Amino acid sequence: MKQEPQKVITKKGERFIIPIGPQHPALKEPGHFEFAVDGETVTDATVRLGYVHRGIEKGVESRNWVQNLYMLERICGICSHTHAMTYCLGVEKLAAVEVPERAQVIRLIVAELERIHSHMLWLGVAAHEAGFDTLFMYTWRDRETVMDLLELLSGNRVNYSANLLGGVKFDISPQQADKIRQGLAFLAERNTHYLDVVMNDMLLLGRIRGVGVMTRDQAEKLGAIGPTARASGVARDVRLDAPYGAYRMFKPKLILETAGDLEARFIVRLREIADSCRLINEALDNLPPGDLTVRMPRRIKEGETISRVEAPRGEAFYFIKSNGSDLPERIKVRTPTICNMGSVLALARGHQLADMPMILVGIDPCFSCNDRMITLRRPDGEAETWSWGQLCEYGIKAYQR
Amino acid sequence: MSAQELLASARALLETFVAEYNTPEEDRLDIWIAATNLPHAVRALHNAGWGYLSAVTGLDLGPEAGQLEALYHFCNGPAVLTLRVRLGRATPSVPTLCTIIPSASFFERELSEMFGITVEGTPNTDHLYLPDDWPDGVYPLRKDFDPSTLHITG
Repeated sequence: MKQEPQKVITKKGERFIIPIGPQHPALKEPGHFEFAVDGETVTDATVRLGYVHRGIEKGVESRNWVQNLYMLERICGICSHTHAMTYCLGVEKLAAVEVPERAQVIRLIVAELERIHSHMLWLGVAAHEAGFDTLFMYTWRDRETVMDLLELLSGNRVNYSANLLGGVKFDISPQQADKIRQGLAFLAERNTHYLDVVMNDMLLLGRIRGVGVMTRDQAEKLGAIGPTARASGVARDVRLDAPYGAYRMFKPKLILETAGDLEARFIVRLREIADSCRLINEALDNLPPGDLTVRMPRRIKEGETISRVEAPRGEAFYFIKSNGSDLPERIKVRTPTICNMGSVLALARGHQLADMPMILVGIDPCFSCNDRMITLRRPDGEAETWSWGQLCEYGIKAYQR
Repeated sequence: MSAQELLASARALLETFVAEYNTPEEDRLDIWIAATNLPHAVRALHNAGWGYLSAVTGLDLGPEAGQLEALYHFCNGPAVLTLRVRLGRATPSVPTLCTIIPSASFFERELSEMFGITVEGTPNTDHLYLPDDWPDGVYPLRKDFDPSTLHITG
């Protein structure tokens, strides 16, 4: 599916851009970045999203509170639990309903399994974009373990649908808990190996050490969140800053690195996998007895609330307004990729074009909302449209020279 | 610092701009300010290193009320401070925050295409989410927009 960069017809003072896609067999998801370049150096970057925009924020206004749970957990496959949980926490707060402890702990266990699954997926994608396909194959093979565990609990590998307004749908039996412990022991061991590879493989280090540096000050001011912020030494983790649900009982460790480069973002995520394993084991050992659900009213009391959850990529932010009926007045969803994309693009200036794929992948962009198509603008007015694949290949070749 | 202490410090920073305020939940503070004061208030927070701009929410209070609202949410540890700006529905306009926080660009593009709120001075006014051929003057997150009027072809 390889293509030569397409030349773009340009007249003086007028620019035509011939896009590949947004629907294209070689691109996994649609989206569109534009990088202005001077030689090899990026001088400006913008993004155009929305090719898969589904109008969910409008859609929720004509569906009732229960229907919206199913709608919102389909915002993202990887973070389906995060979205459902953020929504439930907000609506439960508005309804002044206290969820049983056992349900809260089960939510935490699924959330941390989801984090492991998401970080391992990212590790594979990042390795692939760097041209390190062996690491990609191994991580995705091992990721099957955590997906099997999620299937064991929920019957599904991706949309686990663990949440209900007022609790969770399924329990965790002692036999299932043992299976999870075994799976986590395997994953923790593999994770140690991956950490060793990332910190010692000279070829990979060439692509990630000192690349895409975001200083602590920049990360703080630009509002970077999640592992991207923590890799720059910013102590930002909603699970610790504003503990919700079972995170009041079980505390994650704050994983911080100070270098702020891509290597730091690898290390933070890998160490978070290890900590999630620890957290799940602790929760399984202390699973409180009790009910799984509590009764929820059909109409939700009038009011506004904000709920925040630490998704694998950083803080997910929901603003929920109820007018007292069975339909919400407004639900605003702000996903973590938007914050990190804004901060990384603000910093793209001055970096090498060859580093762009890795810098973008470094924030773990939720690819269901991002484009894989790149427009190059050279100062002489020649514009070219590249696919994401072509840019990655360019990056890999540039480092082989 | 506790959420209350953090919010008290934000309140002190913004004292001169506060038109109205409300504490809807113990970890939240809503402050209504005039649109012209928005960059000054954000500059004050930014200079003091108070939190980060986490999200911008648009609200349509409905054609009867004749008002829109833009909500700028700043998070700092457990505390959420929301700067709220009420705008007339006919010609809503807010000043840009991009000169202070460059990453606010995405939020401002979304606010203008979804609610028809003009963001004065924002560097990029292209659509972020809506299609290029989306009709002018149609704002999908306003309450009087009816999705069933969308003409779907093919």
